Amino acid sequence: MATTQDMVSDRLPQGVGRWSRGWLLFMALAAIGVAIGVIGWAIEHDQGMAATGMRDLGTMGGATWGVYISMVVYFVGVSFAGITVAALIRLFNLEHLKGVARMAELLTVVALLLGALAIVVDLGQPLRGLVNLFRYARPQSPFFGTFSLVVSGYLFSSLVYLYLTSRPDAARLAESPSRLQPLYRLWAAGYEPTVDQRARDRKATFWLALAILPLLIVAHSSLGFVFGLQVGRPGWFGTLQAPAFVVLAGVSGIGHLIVLAALVRRVLRQEHRIGIEAFTWLGRFLMLLLFVYLYFVVVEIFTSIYQPTTTEQRISDALLTGRYAWIFWGSVAALVLPAFGLAWMAVTRKWRIGWMVIMGLIVNLGAIGKRYLVVVPSETHGQLLPYPIGTYAPSLVEYAVLIGLFSLGALLIGGFMKLFPIVEMEETP
Amino acid sequence: MVPVSRRAFLKGTAVVGGTLAASRFLFETLDAVAGADALALAPFEDRVFTTCWIGKQDCGMTARRIDGRVVKFEGMAGHPRNDGTLCPKGQAQIISIYDPNRVKTPLIRTNAKGVSGEWRQASWDEALQVVADEVNRVRAEDPSLVLWQKGRSKSEAIYDNAFTKAIGSSKLGHGAYCSDTGYRALEYTLGLHGVLNPELVHNRYLLAWGWNLTNAGGNKYCWIVWPRQMLEAREKGLKIVHIDPRLRAAGPFADQWVPLRPSTDLALALSLCHELIAQGYLDRPYLTKYTNAPYLVGKDGLILKQTVGEGDDAEEVALVWDLATGTGRLATEATEPALEGEYTVNGQTYKTAFELFKTHVEDYTPEWAADICGIEATVISQIASEFGENAQIGATTVIDGIEVPYRPVGIMAYHMAQQELGFQALRAMTMVTMLVGAVGAVGGQLADTTWKIHKNYAAFEELTVNDPPYDFTLKGSRYFPINTGFPGMVAKVMQDPARYGVEKLPKVAILHHVNPVLAFTSQPDFLESYKKFEHVTVISPWMSETADLFADVVLPASTIEKFEGPLSASDGYIDAQVLRLPPMDPLFESRGEVDIYLDLAEHIGVLNGADGYIDQINVALGLVDTPFALPDGPRPEVRDIFDRWAKSQGLSGIDHFEQNGIWVKGLIPPTSTYGYVTDPPFGGAVHRLYGESLLKAQRLMQEKGAEEIYYQDYLPFPTWRSPTMDSSPPEYEFYLISYKLVEHKQSRTTLIPLLTELSGKQRIEINTATARRLGISDGDEVVVDSHNAITGETRSLTTVAALTEGIRPDVVGMPHHFGSWSHPASRDLGPTPNEVFFTGEGYMGQTADASFQVKVKISKAGGDS
Amino acid sequence: MTRYVMAVDLNRCQGCRACVEACKIENNTPSAVFWMHVFRLEEGEYPDTKMSFLPRPCQHCNNAPCVKVCPVGARYKREDGLVLTDFDRCIGCRYCEVACPYGVNFFNWRNPDEAWDEYQVPFDDPDLMPVTGGVIPSYKNPDHDRLHGPEQRLTSGSAHFKGVMEKCTFCVHRVEQGLLPACVDTCPVGALKFGDIEDEGSPISTFLRNKESFQLLEELGTDPSVVYVGGTPPTSHAREIERPLTGV
Ligand SMILES: Nc1nc2c(c(=O)[nH]1)N[C@H]1C(S)=C(S)[C@@H](COP(=O)(O)OP(=O)(O)OC[C@H]3O[C@@H](n4cnc5c(=O)[nH]c(N)nc54)[C@H](O)[C@@H]3O)O[C@H]1N2
Ligand SMILES: Nc1nc2c(c(=O)[nH]1)N[C@H]1C(S)=C(S)[C@@H](COP(=O)(O)OP(=O)(O)OC[C@H]3O[C@@H](n4cnc5c(=O)[nH]c(N)nc54)[C@H](O)[C@@H]3O)O[C@H]1N2
Ligand code: SF4
Ligand code: SF4
Ligand code: SF4
Ligand code: SF4
Ligand code: SF4
Ligand SMILES: [Mo]
Repeated sequence: MATTQDMVSDRLPQGVGRWSRGWLLFMALAAIGVAIGVIGWAIEHDQGMAATGMRDLGTMGGATWGVYISMVVYFVGVSFAGITVAALIRLFNLEHLKGVARMAELLTVVALLLGALAIVVDLGQPLRGLVNLFRYARPQSPFFGTFSLVVSGYLFSSLVYLYLTSRPDAARLAESPSRLQPLYRLWAAGYEPTVDQRARDRKATFWLALAILPLLIVAHSSLGFVFGLQVGRPGWFGTLQAPAFVVLAGVSGIGHLIVLAALVRRVLRQEHRIGIEAFTWLGRFLMLLLFVYLYFVVVEIFTSIYQPTTTEQRISDALLTGRYAWIFWGSVAALVLPAFGLAWMAVTRKWRIGWMVIMGLIVNLGAIGKRYLVVVPSETHGQLLPYPIGTYAPSLVEYAVLIGLFSLGALLIGGFMKLFPIVEMEETP
Repeated sequence: MVPVSRRAFLKGTAVVGGTLAASRFLFETLDAVAGADALALAPFEDRVFTTCWIGKQDCGMTARRIDGRVVKFEGMAGHPRNDGTLCPKGQAQIISIYDPNRVKTPLIRTNAKGVSGEWRQASWDEALQVVADEVNRVRAEDPSLVLWQKGRSKSEAIYDNAFTKAIGSSKLGHGAYCSDTGYRALEYTLGLHGVLNPELVHNRYLLAWGWNLTNAGGNKYCWIVWPRQMLEAREKGLKIVHIDPRLRAAGPFADQWVPLRPSTDLALALSLCHELIAQGYLDRPYLTKYTNAPYLVGKDGLILKQTVGEGDDAEEVALVWDLATGTGRLATEATEPALEGEYTVNGQTYKTAFELFKTHVEDYTPEWAADICGIEATVISQIASEFGENAQIGATTVIDGIEVPYRPVGIMAYHMAQQELGFQALRAMTMVTMLVGAVGAVGGQLADTTWKIHKNYAAFEELTVNDPPYDFTLKGSRYFPINTGFPGMVAKVMQDPARYGVEKLPKVAILHHVNPVLAFTSQPDFLESYKKFEHVTVISPWMSETADLFADVVLPASTIEKFEGPLSASDGYIDAQVLRLPPMDPLFESRGEVDIYLDLAEHIGVLNGADGYIDQINVALGLVDTPFALPDGPRPEVRDIFDRWAKSQGLSGIDHFEQNGIWVKGLIPPTSTYGYVTDPPFGGAVHRLYGESLLKAQRLMQEKGAEEIYYQDYLPFPTWRSPTMDSSPPEYEFYLISYKLVEHKQSRTTLIPLLTELSGKQRIEINTATARRLGISDGDEVVVDSHNAITGETRSLTTVAALTEGIRPDVVGMPHHFGSWSHPASRDLGPTPNEVFFTGEGYMGQTADASFQVKVKISKAGGDS
Repeated sequence: MTRYVMAVDLNRCQGCRACVEACKIENNTPSAVFWMHVFRLEEGEYPDTKMSFLPRPCQHCNNAPCVKVCPVGARYKREDGLVLTDFDRCIGCRYCEVACPYGVNFFNWRNPDEAWDEYQVPFDDPDLMPVTGGVIPSYKNPDHDRLHGPEQRLTSGSAHFKGVMEKCTFCVHRVEQGLLPACVDTCPVGALKFGDIEDEGSPISTFLRNKESFQLLEELGTDPSVVYVGGTPPTSHAREIERPLTGV
């Protein structure tokens, strides 16, 4: 049981500012991963995107969107969960979840950054992109919803959110001398640890949370529309897309949150802050989302068995029995098993954090698989004119870039943990 | 027409006179100058006229130029053949002009022949001297042992006629691989130099007989012309019956597809004759008046003749039975010749040729043919009756005020004539059209654009069969009384002259626009025979495979950047001529062929004097005794030669072509298109239904001890026998055939990457069901083994399977064109079918021409057997 | 008001691909890029086999999905019906390409110069310098360096920049000079027609007047400016034969 005493001591909490050997190793690995990604992208930039496995649709028989876009969808999804949980915690003041609130916010920011980067690496003219996407932004394009709205607007607001919710801790840390004191001073600048200030803050964050939720739904739906509105892409067109997107987004995000929470709890000995109730709640939430999503999957399979057009038939055959069957069923398994696993725990009321971590990881594999299957098969098998069946396999360059993205995520989170308490500090009454 | 760009002009003047080295030095510096102020000047754009370098019908083109650099070829508007359009080849040739893989300078071989060549660059003077010395060495012994071999020739007058005459060499063409079997059959039967085509615009029922309509030529043309006329006719209700083992040739335009078994065309034609007679579709007036059908033939198979006139103008005239008088009378005098029946003239009984023909085809029933051709008997009778119905026998129509018989039915056939029984097959096919009187009628059967009777018509009346020794082409031999001049046979002879009673072999070869190693069947035979030449010079813009292996000297010809011609631009209805004009200066150190031959003649020492090259050019271009004749002086400028020719034609000169691109002479009158109304009708030829001289030739051949395989088909009527290849063992269950792709021209365009990109690589077409049976799927590597039924030799190649429902299950097909290895872009595209075709006995026609069919077995590569 | 339309007469098309070649040369497209493609199709079983040909340029849709989705307005529709790509603005997101139901978009995957390597014709050969000045390709068409239309944007020709999208332009650079598109111009049998449909008297209007015609994938509501006369829309049983070399 932690006491206010050790919080104001000059030893910063949660190992902030202190380098453990394990942490250094972790960061070193992450850095190497990032380097690999940078090299990959450098090659892609130099040789042109011919260095990827992507090729033109049509006569060239390729897929022009590949893992990169799959990852955009995936990362934005992850961020979704983060901000939702965080917002819910504020809105309903869920005390037992306070412990994971900040890491949820952090997760959101990081995932969004990675999502943005995944878009950038997918652009043929990245530098132009950064300028033109804003200079000539066209709200009519669903892409606007994804990039300009989600990634920028939403990244911005969640940063603000993280900032606001972290200021109290910053202020408290700023009181005691430490190497990082200047930083905290800056961070907490203009913050008065008075009761009404706290009230004001809580109000602000409350409204912000309230504002973020709808923004979030819009953003994710629009992400769904990137695919959902395409009449020319059998398998993409359909209203199911948007809701399914949001739900699977939740799944992957909560999955991550569970993993992260468990890690922090263990490494930073935060058992007292991140109680089993937090996991129970997350577990129940994840289970719920999973079952909702599995309903969509069933519908998907069911409908794809009687497809209106032969093209859609061709795609669903590729999915259910053909070239992509192993990914499809693999992903489904990766979502079904945890669903029932969680259900079992819920019934038996025995929540095993170890297992949950594994499930958290598995559902994310499943999520990645599903994202990939949304993007690729409709390209390779979705031609409406008698073109050859296409093929696509990510090239080493693409894999390198993926490694880079995940490593960067790890690097950022790891870095943050040494700058600031990733678990919100308890308020002194 | 348009002003020449300043820079091009400078270059032009620079090149004139100076040796090439000097001129290149010159215009490179001039270019630098131009380049310098080019920045100041806006790019100079103009358009100049030229003609397609690739194709056979020399479509007119305009070249769009930027500062003298050609950036695009477009069709020449108003050109009868292509009127403002171009086929893919015409478009793509732009990239080949600039191809740095062209032969840039004269090359002299530095390694042994028979393997891929190693070369040293030489000056023109040195190279020409080497060639001249070789030529002169052999000319001293016997000029005919210098062989000038050509494929295509775009200035026949100046190359084929003038040059070979000037040096006294022998000539050899590629015709025996092209369609010469058909030419011989038509020269023999109708006296026309051509194969078979309908008067398409008015035609209403067409037997597209091995006509690769959507890809290739048909009779005479390259492409474009026939498809346009076909569409015009089709919009007026033309029905196309596509007789071809593959559907792809006529594709969507086949109203009916008759997928007959390869090399059974003779059987089908004979049973069509049977049916037409049985169903009574006969144009008796035509048959009695214009053919030898009424001639009286004795039991000995000879036509009853009488000598009329004395001394020199004494001639043999055939007798017919005149129903008017009830006596045998001279065909020239009889008023009512009998077409059918048996008659007695001075104690001997005779039958009319037609009577004999009826008996001859009696057993050739549809049922009989059905088995052989692998099609339905009912289909044959149906086609016969539709053909007969549509012929509208007796109908006439008025064209330009002249009444002409109207028989809107006909046959289009060309390269398919190249099969073992091709000569007789084409005779029989011609007879199908003769029976209904379609020959020379409106919408009916034609073979040439004129009715000028070819000299062979008379020559074939009395075929000579000599005793050995023979020359290396076996002319007048006991093997081929009708002899096309067959490089394949020459290749055989060169490997074993004694076997054919030949004593002297050619020693020096000059190869003009020909690539036997790749383009001719039976590659192995050419790989052997070309070793025998003491010297080979190849004139070509690229290193052909033949050059790569066998040339001692390669002289770099220009592609399109040269003067050539005169070339016909007629489409059969409008008469016109063009010249090929260079759209820019020759690239690298290449030269136009006319230049090359002038240079050669100079070095050989035959440029001047009586029968010298200049003299021969005057003869060949008809300049003799005109004010435009070339003076027997220094080497003329090529442009000047054509300028004089143009003037001799009553034009202002070559500038007429530079300004207008083409010389349109006007409409061709019906009196020269339709045989019925030419003067005399059909050019005065009596159409040979009965081939008496063939029978006589056979008897002579037998006397001179020729084996049956040579004389068996020298018969007065086309007579079916199963082709030699059918006696290959049963495991060779497929017929391999070959054909052209619209994207390629013979073996000379796979080095144009733009075209290969469109055509794809080599493949073998296999019927889907067949492939399934053999466990072969689309894109699999397959091994193709061929078998020679005479020698038992087998040959093999490997290529890729292309499955289709558009080919007979017992037939596999490969495009020709591929197999080149001497250009980075044409390497690795797959083999030529000519690797596995055979030539010589059993795999050639009776008139010494190639066959393009062989029995093969196919299996998945890597699999057993 | 002008509105350009292309008509394809399937009763005439020979499947010869001259249009494809003309397009490649006129617009200097590098290897494996086919702004125009001609399908050669086969249906049914031997001996009841049917063959057909189907030329496929960009359909210049009047309700163009590609235009709708472009996030930066690089892909745009002109008053005269042309759907063009602004090579200076395109960011290479390839959204237009996934949105297009007709598979007509081609992305510059490679550096423009390397894009020519497959052809194995070294245009930079020193011996060509005097004639070509080393331009790539040797037959480079200068029209494509110009800006086009009242909007003055860089929209014609191929292989301008790496990482940028391109497709059939209806030969904007030719149409502006009153010329026919290169494919239409070269078609040996007049199977392709082009012109202003708003102009009653134009050849294309006369050609299309009271003729049965269809558009590709009509049901999608993209309303293409390319109309097909004769023949029938390709069924899903059509098998493509004789594919060009389309790989990179
Ligand atoms: N694109 C292109 N056009 C060309 C040429 C070229 O190289 N490329 N070459 C030009 C020249 S030189 C010529 S000679 C002409 C040739 O013009 P065509 O004769 O029209 O064309 P080919 O492809 O030679 O003809 C072969 C056709 O005959 C069929 N065939 C094969 N064996 C048999 C058989 O036993 N019986 C029957 N009935 N059909 C058979 C083949 O399936 C094929 O359709 O084309 C000219 N035009
Ligand atoms: N299997 C199979 N084989 C065939 C055919 C087939 O259908 N199937 N078709 C046959 C037919 S119809 C024919 S006509 C023959 C044609 O066969 P060829 O007459 O040999 O014609 P190409 O194969 O085009 O060879 C021409 C060669 O001339 C050279 N050349 C190219 N352009 C020029 C030029 O401008 N000037 C000069 N001096 N040389 C030049 C090039 O080296 C080229 O290799 O092929 C026959 N071969
Ligand atoms: S048809 Fe023959 S001559 Fe005419 S453009 Fe094509 S290749 Fe050249
Ligand atoms: S050029 Fe004309 S005929 Fe040839 S494929 Fe194109 S549209 Fe068809
Ligand atoms: S065909 Fe495709 S690219 Fe062309 S306009 Fe229509 S949607 Fe856009
Ligand atoms: S690739 Fe270029 S043109 Fe296509 S949508 Fe993206 S930005 Fe627009
Ligand atoms: S219109 Fe121009 S760009 Fe479009 S396909 Fe035809 S030639 Fe190519
Ligand atoms: Mo030929």
